[in-house]
Formats: sequence, C-alpha cells, structure tokens
Amino acid sequence: MNQLNKILFLGLFSLAFTNCEDKLEITPAQELEPGTALGTEANIKTTLVGTYAEAGKNDSYGGRYQMMADLLGANGNITWGGTFFDPGDIFNKAILVTNAFVEDFWNNQYAIANQANLILDNLDVVESSTEERDRVEGEARFLRALAYFDLNRMFSSGDLGVPLRTEGLVEYSADLTIDRASTGEVYALVVSDLQRAVELLPESNGVFADRYSAQALLARVQLHIGNFEAALTAADNVIMNSGRTLTPDYADAFNNDVNSSEDLFAIQVTSQDGENDLIVHYASEANGGRRGDIRVNDAYLDLFGSDTIADARANFFVEGEVEDRRLTGKYTNQFGNIALIRLAEMYLIRAEANLRLSSEVGASPREDINTVRNRAGAELLEEDDDIDLTYILNERLRELAFEGFFVHDYRRLGVAIDGFDADDNALVFPIPQSETDTNMGILQNPGYG
Amino acid sequence: MTRIITTVLLLFVGLSIYAQQVITGTVVDDEGIPLIGATITDVGTTSGTVTDLDGSFSLTVREGAEAIEVTYTGFEPQRVAITNATTYEIVLSSSSELLDEVVVIGYGSTSKRFLTDNVTKLSSDDIDKVPVPNFQSTFAGKAAGVRVSQTNGKVDAGMTVRVRGAASISAGSDPLYVLDGVPLINQDESQNGAPLNPLLSLSPTEIESIDILKDASSAAIYGARGANGVVLITTKRGKIGKAVMRLNISGGVSEPTNTVEWLNTEEYVALFTEAGNNIDYDVTADFDRLSNGTDWRNSEVDTEWNDVVFRTGQQNNADFNISGGDEKTIYYLGGAYNDTEGIIIGNDLNRASARTNIRHNFSKKFTGALNLGYSKTTINRVQDDNSFTTPLQGIAQSPLSPPRLENGEPFGGTEYANFLLALDYGSYETRIRRLTGKASGEYKFTNWLSFNSDFGYDMSNTTEDEFNGSRTPFQSTNGDAFSSTALQESYVWANYATFDRDLAAGHNLNVVVGTEFTEAQRNYNSVSGIQFPSDDLQTISSAAEITAGAGSFTAYNFMSYFARAQYVLNSRYFVKGSIRSDGSSRFGADRRFGTFPAGSVGWIVSEEDFLKGNTTLAFLKTRVSYGLLGNSEIGNFPSRNLFGTTSYNQRPGIEPVQPGNSSLTWETTKQLDVGLEFGLFDSRISGELDYYRKLTDGLLFETPLPGSSGATFINQNIGSLKNTGVELILNGDVVNTGGFRWNASFNIAQNNVEIISLPNDDMDIVVEGNNINRVGEPVLAHYLPEYAGVDPANGDALYFINGDGEDARETTNNPNEANRIVAGQPFPDVTAGLTNTVAYKGITLNFTLQGEWGTSLYNAAGRFQSANARFFDNQTVDQLNRWQNPGDITDVPQARLFTNNGAAASTRYLEKADFIRLRNVTLSYDLPRDWMERIGLTNTQVYFSGLNLLTFTEYSGYDPESRYDAVELGRGQVFYSAPAARTVSFGLNLTF
Repeated sequence: MNQLNKILFLGLFSLAFTNCEDKLEITPAQELEPGTALGTEANIKTTLVGTYAEAGKNDSYGGRYQMMADLLGANGNITWGGTFFDPGDIFNKAILVTNAFVEDFWNNQYAIANQANLILDNLDVVESSTEERDRVEGEARFLRALAYFDLNRMFSSGDLGVPLRTEGLVEYSADLTIDRASTGEVYALVVSDLQRAVELLPESNGVFADRYSAQALLARVQLHIGNFEAALTAADNVIMNSGRTLTPDYADAFNNDVNSSEDLFAIQVTSQDGENDLIVHYASEANGGRRGDIRVNDAYLDLFGSDTIADARANFFVEGEVEDRRLTGKYTNQFGNIALIRLAEMYLIRAEANLRLSSEVGASPREDINTVRNRAGAELLEEDDDIDLTYILNERLRELAFEGFFVHDYRRLGVAIDGFDADDNALVFPIPQSETDTNMGILQNPGYG
Repeated sequence: MTRIITTVLLLFVGLSIYAQQVITGTVVDDEGIPLIGATITDVGTTSGTVTDLDGSFSLTVREGAEAIEVTYTGFEPQRVAITNATTYEIVLSSSSELLDEVVVIGYGSTSKRFLTDNVTKLSSDDIDKVPVPNFQSTFAGKAAGVRVSQTNGKVDAGMTVRVRGAASISAGSDPLYVLDGVPLINQDESQNGAPLNPLLSLSPTEIESIDILKDASSAAIYGARGANGVVLITTKRGKIGKAVMRLNISGGVSEPTNTVEWLNTEEYVALFTEAGNNIDYDVTADFDRLSNGTDWRNSEVDTEWNDVVFRTGQQNNADFNISGGDEKTIYYLGGAYNDTEGIIIGNDLNRASARTNIRHNFSKKFTGALNLGYSKTTINRVQDDNSFTTPLQGIAQSPLSPPRLENGEPFGGTEYANFLLALDYGSYETRIRRLTGKASGEYKFTNWLSFNSDFGYDMSNTTEDEFNGSRTPFQSTNGDAFSSTALQESYVWANYATFDRDLAAGHNLNVVVGTEFTEAQRNYNSVSGIQFPSDDLQTISSAAEITAGAGSFTAYNFMSYFARAQYVLNSRYFVKGSIRSDGSSRFGADRRFGTFPAGSVGWIVSEEDFLKGNTTLAFLKTRVSYGLLGNSEIGNFPSRNLFGTTSYNQRPGIEPVQPGNSSLTWETTKQLDVGLEFGLFDSRISGELDYYRKLTDGLLFETPLPGSSGATFINQNIGSLKNTGVELILNGDVVNTGGFRWNASFNIAQNNVEIISLPNDDMDIVVEGNNINRVGEPVLAHYLPEYAGVDPANGDALYFINGDGEDARETTNNPNEANRIVAGQPFPDVTAGLTNTVAYKGITLNFTLQGEWGTSLYNAAGRFQSANARFFDNQTVDQLNRWQNPGDITDVPQARLFTNNGAAASTRYLEKADFIRLRNVTLSYDLPRDWMERIGLTNTQVYFSGLNLLTFTEYSGYDPESRYDAVELGRGQVFYSAPAARTVSFGLNLTF
C-alpha cells in the first residue's frame, strides 16, 4: 500500500509540474485585429458599413448634430425646455468648453473621418472589380466629406478651420498633436472628395450613398461656401437626373421605415440598430421621447403668415402630453429613418443660386419654390410676387425646420440669431476641453477663454 | 526550472523515517476545564493531533523528540519538554496578546510570532453579528490601512476595498480574494450601470477568519495578482468532538443614516417665482402643471420626496450549522438565509447558502478534504444613479407635485419621469448562483515533507431580467424587456510540496515549492425585446419583436510557479524569501511571463538575554520586507488593436474599438515595509508600527487621446505612482479584574499617494474634464474652476481666473475663462478604527468607531439641485440665501430660471467629507450556563447589534461614504447617491 501510494503521488508530481504554457495563447472571440479587418475585400466592405453606423450614432447624424444646429440657431422658433444642461447651454449661446454634446460630436466626426481614411488607405484589397473598388472609394469619400463639412461648419471661426487628417491612424503611440487647418483647406478637401465621389459612385446604391447623394451634398456645400454656380449645377443635376421625386404629401417625407422617394441620403434606423436622438428630445413620451424637450413656438408659425391653415408644414405638429406643448411631427417614429438630404432642399438651393446669379437654369426661382410649396399645399407664388433672399430663407425655414439648418441659414444670410450677430463668436462651437487638454497647442476659438 | 523542482522533491522523498514513541496526556484551561480540539505537535515536525472531548490526546513522536507544543486559539501556546513520563497534564493560560495566533499566508499558515510580513487577521468575532449582508462591510475600520466602503446604500451596491491606498490608476484596484485557497471570481456582472458586489453570494456566517496580506513579502506569493493586497478567507470547519449544533437568528430594521433637506412648497414657490421674474418669465403655468392643478399658493400639496424614496428596511438572518468530528474525520455543515429589504423603495435581496467542509484522514499519511459552498442570491435592483427613474432622483421633483393621485396611480406630470411609474410597472431582478469548491489531498511522505494537490472550482452565474411595462416612463413600444446570462467559471489546480524541519537544534527551515494553473472563462448572452401583448406577460418569449441580442465568450489563463523558504534560527531570527513566476494570456506575446521575488528578515529582540524576562517590554520584534508585485487586472485583451462588430440597417459592420499597444504588460509594484511589533507591561498592551513605501511602475493608463485622432483613449503602461504610509495598531488589555474585562484595539493609518511620472514628459492627464493625474499630486485629484462667490453688484456667479498672469486672482463671470485648479483628493489620507470590547459576567459590549479624513467629494448633481433655481428641480434649502438686491453678500447667485448662473462645474460643488462613524455596536448576554444545560443547551446568547448608529461629519450631502455609481468610483463624485443604512437588529444564538 505504502509503495503504491508513493508511486501514485510521484505520478501526480510529474503531472503537476507539467507545462501548461501553451494554454496562454488566447485570442479574442468578438474582435478582429487590424490585419484581418482591413486586409480582405469582404472586411473592408464591412468596415465601410461600420462607417455608416458610426455616422448614424446619436453623437452625430443620429440626431444630436441636427438638434445642436437648430438649438444654436433657434432664434425664437423653438425653445429648449429640457433639463439636460448641455443642449440648454447651446440654446442659451453660453456653451462651456466642457459641453459633452459638443465634445461627443467632435470625437465622433473624427471617428467617422478616421474610418473613412482607413478604407481609402486600404483600397488595394478590393480586387473583384473596378466598379466595386470605385463604389467603396466613393462611399468613403462621401462619408469623409460629410464628417469634415459639418465639423468645419460648427467649429471653424474665420479662417481657422478644424484639424484635417487624410490618412487613417492605426498606430496610436505616435505624436498625435495636430494644428488646425485653414477653413479653406477643409472645404477644399470636402469639395474634392465629393467631386470624386460623384464620378466614382453608381447611380443607385440601396440605402448607401450613391452618385446623387454625393452631388446633393456637394450642392449643399457649395451653397454654404458661396460657390453659387457650382451649387446650381450640382442641385440642377440632382433634380434632373436622380430620379427622386417629392413625396405626394409633406408628411410622407418623414418617419419612414424605408427611404422615401425624395430621400437623397437618410440615416437608417431600425428597432435593432441605429439611434434616433431627435426622437428623444423632440418627441412626445408616447412616441418614445422625453415629452418634448424642444417645443415649437408661436414665432415659428408667424413665418407662415396668413397661410397657416392650408400649408401642411404649419400644421405638422403633435400635441405633447404636458401643457399642450407643440412638438414637431417630423419625429414620431422611434425606429424611423432620419432624412439627412431631401430633394426639396435641392429645389431651394437651385432657386437661391438662380436668384443670386439672375439665371433660370432648370427652372425659375419662383417655379422651384412653387414646386416645394405646392407639395405642402401652400398658397402658390404669383408671377408678380417679389422673391428675394429673405423669402428664400423663410421658405427654407418653413420647409427644412428641425432638420439642422437653422444656425447655418441664418449665419449664411447674415441674420442675427436671438440677439447675437451672425458673426458672433457665441454662434461657433468651442474646441472641446478634452481636445485642448490632449492636443497641446491647438488654438481655441475666440470668445472661449 | 520544472526539472529542478522535481529533482529536489525526489531527494526529499528518498530520506528515511525515524523510529517513534507514544505520549499521552490532557489539556485544560486555567479553570481546569478540558480544552477540546487543542493542537499538540511534535516540535520541528508537522506531525500532531488534537485533543478529544475530555481534552485527552495521544501522540506518536519521533524517537529522541525533545518537546511537544500545545496550541489553542485564544491561549498562550506552550512547549513541554518530553521527559521520561508518558502522561502529561498541560494547563494553558488564556492569551492576552495576539502574538501567537495562527495566520494564513497562502499555501500554508504560520504563527504570527514567526511572521516577517504584515498580515492583519480578523476572526469570526469581528464578522459575526454585524447586520450587513456582505462580508466586506464587516471588517470596515478593523484592519489598519484597509479601507472598506460600500458604494452607496443600495443593498447590492459594489464594494471598494483598498489595501494601503490604490496602487493603480486605471487597472483594477481591488485586492485578490482567495477562499480556502481558491482565488475568487470578483468581476461585476451588473448590466444596469451600477456596480454589483459579486461577492454578495458569500454569507458572512460561513467565515471563520480573514487574513489580509498587505505587504510585498506576504502577497508576493500571489505574484502578478498581489499588488492590491490579498484577502484570504478561511471558512468554518469542524473540531474533534461530539456534534455541536448552533442556531443563530436575528432580525432588525434599517433607515437612512441621513437625509438632505429640500425646499417645501412655500419656499419653492417663492424661489422659483423670483427666478422666473428675473428673466421675465411667468411660472404660474409651470406651477399649475407641476401641482396637477392643486392650490400651490396655499401649499395644498407639499411633498417630502425623501419620504417617498426611503422606507424603513428590514433584515432577517438565520443560520444553522452542525460541526464535529473524530480523529479520522472532521466536518462542518451549515446553511444560512438572509433577507434584506433595503432603505430604498424597491431594493431588496435574499440569499440562501450552504456549506460543507469535510476532512478525512485516510491513513496517517494521506488526508483528503472537500470544501463546498453554494448559494443563490436574488436581488431586486433599482436603476443606476444617473437614471431618471432611479428612486433617488425622486428628490429632484418639485414639492408641488403629488407622488400619487387619489386613485393610487403615480402622478405622471412630474418635472422628471415619476420613478413610481417605473417601480409599479417595471422590475429588475438579478439572480446570482455561486458554487465554490475545492477537493484537496495532502500526502505526508515524512513528518517534515508533505505534498498537497488542490483542485478548486469557482462558478458564478448571474442572470438579470428587466421588464418595463407599457405604463413605465418613456415607454412607446408596449413594454420592453431585457434578459441576460453571464456565466463565469474558473478552475485552479495548485500543487505544492512543503518541507518543514529542524535541521539542527534551533535551526528550522520551511520550504514550499509549487505550481498553479488557472483557467477562467466567461460566457455572456443577452436578448432584448419590445411589443408585449400584456403587462402581465413579462418574459422575452412574449415579445413580438426581438430588438437586440448578444453572445460572447472570453477567457484568460495563468500559469504560475512559486517557491517560498523561511529559515528560523533559535525561534528569534527569521529570514524569508519567495518567488513567483506568472505567465498570463492577458499580456502581449513578448511580455508573457513576469517574475515576482520578495524577501524579508525579522528579529524577536525580546528573546535576547538582555530583554528576556523584562515584563515592561515583554515582546519586541522588528521586521523588514521588500518585494515585487504585479497587477494584471487590466482586462483580457488590453494590448491588442481591435476592430469590433456593429451593424447598420441590420447589415454587419466593423469598426475600430481599441487602439493597440503590443508591449503592454502588468503593472509592477515594489513595496518596502519596515515594522515593529511590541508587547508592553506583560503584553497587556501590544501593537504594531509599520512604515511602507509602494512604488508602482509601468502604471496602466487609459490615456486620453485627442478626439481628432479618431480614438479617445489607449492603454499604456507608463508613469509611476508612490504610496507611502504609516500604520499603527495598539491593542490594550485595559482592565481585567474580577470578571470585568475591557479590551481596546485601535488602528490608524496614514497614506500619501503621489504621481511620480507620467507619459509625454509628465503631461497632465485630465479625466472627464474634472479629475486630473498630475505629477506631484494624488491620483484623480479634483480639477475644477475655483468658485469665487457672488458679485454683490449684480448677483452673477464669479470664478477665479487662476491664470499665469497678474490677473490670477481676478474673477470672471464666464466659467470658460476660469482655469481649473487641483482642488483636493477623492479618497482619504488618514483612516482609523477603534474597537472596544467590555465584558462582565456574560454581558459583552463591543463597538467599533471608524473615521476617515482627507476626502473631498464633488456633487455632480449640484448643478441641478443647488443651482439657484436653474431648472424646476427642487433645491437644497441653502439656495434660499440667494442674492436678491445689489449689495447682498452671499455665496448663492441670483436665481435665474433656465439660466446657468453659477451652475458650471466648479469648486462650488466640492466639499470635504471627513467623518467619524459608530460603525457597529453589539451588546450580547450569555445566559447562565447551568440554566441552559437543564434544557439541553450548552450556550445561549441574546444580542443587540447596531450598524452606523451615529455619524459625526460636517459634510452636507447624504452621506460621506456614498459615491456616484454610474461613473468611475475613484473620481470621488456623488450624484443622487443613496446614504448608507443605519440598522438595529436583535438576535438569538443557541448552541446545543
């Protein structure tokens, strides 16, 4: 027995001291390493889908971008009544450098841009066909342009643009400090990306960006930076060739589970993915919101003059649960897509550009405005009605309200907002403190300490 | 290395065994009562026995053995020389000092006398009867340099246990918990944002003792996992003797330790009317809305929301165990039940647990043991502090609002969603099933060489089920539900050989050599659904639409080799060395193994001739230790550059989720400890004084990156951190006459933490804007604009600019212009505890006072609740001191509705949180034994126990110990964080 025990335990010894070191190699089950993620055509394409998901996060086009642009440009049209102090400060034009909404937007726009850059850096692996490669490149350029355009619109002050990176970062132990580019450099990249995207993208591309998405965004960009001829050409091209049509009813353009006939680009939201913060802050509780943090004021209805009965846009509201709050009807489907570029905007861009250039390319300004008004059931303009930039601005406010246009349209047209001059520093976002804390030496915008 | 170990062990095995003789005797206490279960060992060997029911023993000793040693917990050990006699009557005197207690040190145990390490031991006396459901809270204030605090007053709240300050910034700072040799899973599986204490599954009633390894010399045997200290838990086991049955039942009630005072309706109306007037806004409609149309002008409704949120909680405990054994087998079987209804409405837990510990001597050489504990804990949880529907956010509601309508339905028109809707129509239930077991065998080749093989298994299964019915706030999908299952399991196989032998008279050598392999895995699945046909159908199966799902797997392994040797010369000179080599899958391929050595020396000065017999300085020992420890609590794949999955329009996508760093490795901490142990006046006063210095290198940081890089942080091992401190423990046998006994134990620890170096030329690292890691400052120091009060001229809030220039002390009303300053630290630098035990004729009073000094807390909710009526949130009463007229001198700015006047993050919301707390009190009475014996009971005790009965603090918030549970706890923030519970409980303890 004793001997047996000894043998048994000696056996156990040798077992005990056996090497189990080969078990120390474990790989993650849920994640990929960059060589894999960026190394095959299939994965590059999936990374491209991931870039749309990034763009659709609530920090960016999942709602907060549009909401912030409207709160900053509220000008009496809307009131922030919620208890989040970050959007409240934006509404009050008293933005702290620590504003979390502003910081999250900044970070996420750069995350979109970086992912697009990674795709552009690794296009070589898309080998199946030139068309596929062009499509991937075109979409990546479209997304990068979208990210930088809105970053620059919100954060550039005078000639001081935002930092511009055109190559993807994988190695983060490098020096990551970067100066701000000039406003012109940023817009130049945005324009050239979109011009390339128009060339590269197919005519239709499902829910993803196609040629006309890029061209429509290009029209928006050119209008914003004052290249009216280019804006006119792009908008006209979209109207003539995209095959998109205005929805029969104004309401049909919103809250859609699948893209409407006038969507040139929409952020996809389903019950299983995507985020819609416009619902959170604009909608009633029954529609998934917080009972209407953002309310529409009487002043907004004043824009419709005497036409508040017939014009669908003057009636497109929901009554909130509390205090009969007037809430926009544009956001009532919690899992509905978020329309980011609609055909109606193209008519208004063409009208404004034609007006400014005294031309009638495609149609006269009056005709284009009537196209939009007609769909809304509004009174049509007569031949002898005067159309000026103020009228176009107001038409844009009537048509495009709560979709992220307020601050840009007022500032572009030199209209003061809530008592702040159009060029007031308070109407530009501060560079977030998280950036100034880590990107040493980056210049803060004037007015922010 | 493997081969060397094997060879050495084989050499030991080859040695022969001595001839033997038998000695017998009895062991009694100084009152002549037989001591059952006293240990008798042949000195210099591990061979020994225990006394039986009559205190008798019989021990076979080696031929030529010189002495036997008799030990019994609570008594002075005694060495008895072996003479020609064969029977010995041994009288033990009760120990007035704690010098000789047995201390568990990992892969073995030793007498505290021989210890060259800093280890704090707590016994079941410290743990029993404290009316809390988690075991960690029971030792708050009782161990020097060990800070224990519960996140907040939720029954399930996470625990923060810090041994000698935090040695890390971003990696885990919790100590390693080891239960009967099995490292415990301590990963929080909460899915609702608030931390959940994973060790809630362990009933305090199962614990016999807790040994906390604080210095490097003791913890280094746990190598890469020892840097935060090691808590060794030993569960109860049987003693030789007839079966002893114990039944303990207790019940109590609890309430919040403190509440904050809010405005009543009259004050609220006055303040907000003024706030509205100041911006030309009429608040009448808002008051009508908030008050549900009641007459707010005459305070028709005046809700004290504190009373809606809090309730009187209850606690009921029952535990039963039976233990005993004979020379072959000892056993312990126990079961316990705890039912705790928290002080926050909707928050409760119950736990049923059982434990079996059996040990059997199969032969004189081979002993096998099985420890098995299992439990099921069910918790009804409330949302995290940052959720609108967590009960504590109810205090933000206006006093004008009724909590419920006349029909009992929650009022839906409150300023914030009424948490009562979530409470009535939703649920969040968490269940934890835990199984921890160990099968072990010990084979004694000879008296001085044994081999142990321990196979431990730990399984923690946490399921969470959330349901929000159609009437809960923000509900637009006819209800939603979430269900998750997290299964964590690990097995540990440790094999080690112990050599313990007197090499010659006065020379003892103890060597432990072993290996340990750990494999841990986690499987997680969850599913979410919406669109329920009825509020009565609440499981996911009833959801018409499934909206999300998750299934994931992750794992880590450790392969470790360790050795420890202690040499004792003449029972007074000690030298110890240990080394552990750990390999882990968590580290980059190039850095897979780390080696952690430690060494220590000790000298019992009082054993020298010049002090021997000196009763004034009865005991004096000095010890010095130094060693290297690791911290591997850095997640499973922190070094890798990773792309994760996402989806867009239900199509799969990939996105970067973590920037990589292939050279990432564990943090290493070098710790020096210099200690002095002393016993004065016949050891009626004993104590320990320790100085330590912990230097942590390769500090793991989630270093913030500029957002413009596309990522926001990276894991890096850069920078170093220093903790230095002094700990003093004093134990006094204050009075011990005529049956009256008063013992006091005092401990105080001071810890200074300082960041020594940081990446990128010591560049500051700002965390979430308001905490900073800066060289020369403590970790995560508060970093805030400095509030400068109110401009008497116009009521504007002012901040100091604190720039570099001459205008440093100028003020501004624009918070963006104010530079942040380091404004205090989020944890204490001094902690102290005082435990007194007073006993007289069966009556024992025991109480512990605990104090902490140096913490500053930032109230992140101040921006809402003390914001001079910015939003319609109810305000703390101090906001009534607002500026009203030019010339007013006050700290509270003019009330301006919807306007940020002083509500930016600033030192305005930072406050010192020093406190002294009567942590627990137990008053017990042992009924006279002769009465009890008549009805078959050997002992009957009734007791009263109180927790947190008194708190002395200047802190104005709910509780100086509560923390915001939805952000990193180390940041020292509070945000609608519940105060701790104050509990009184009565119990009955029966022994048959």
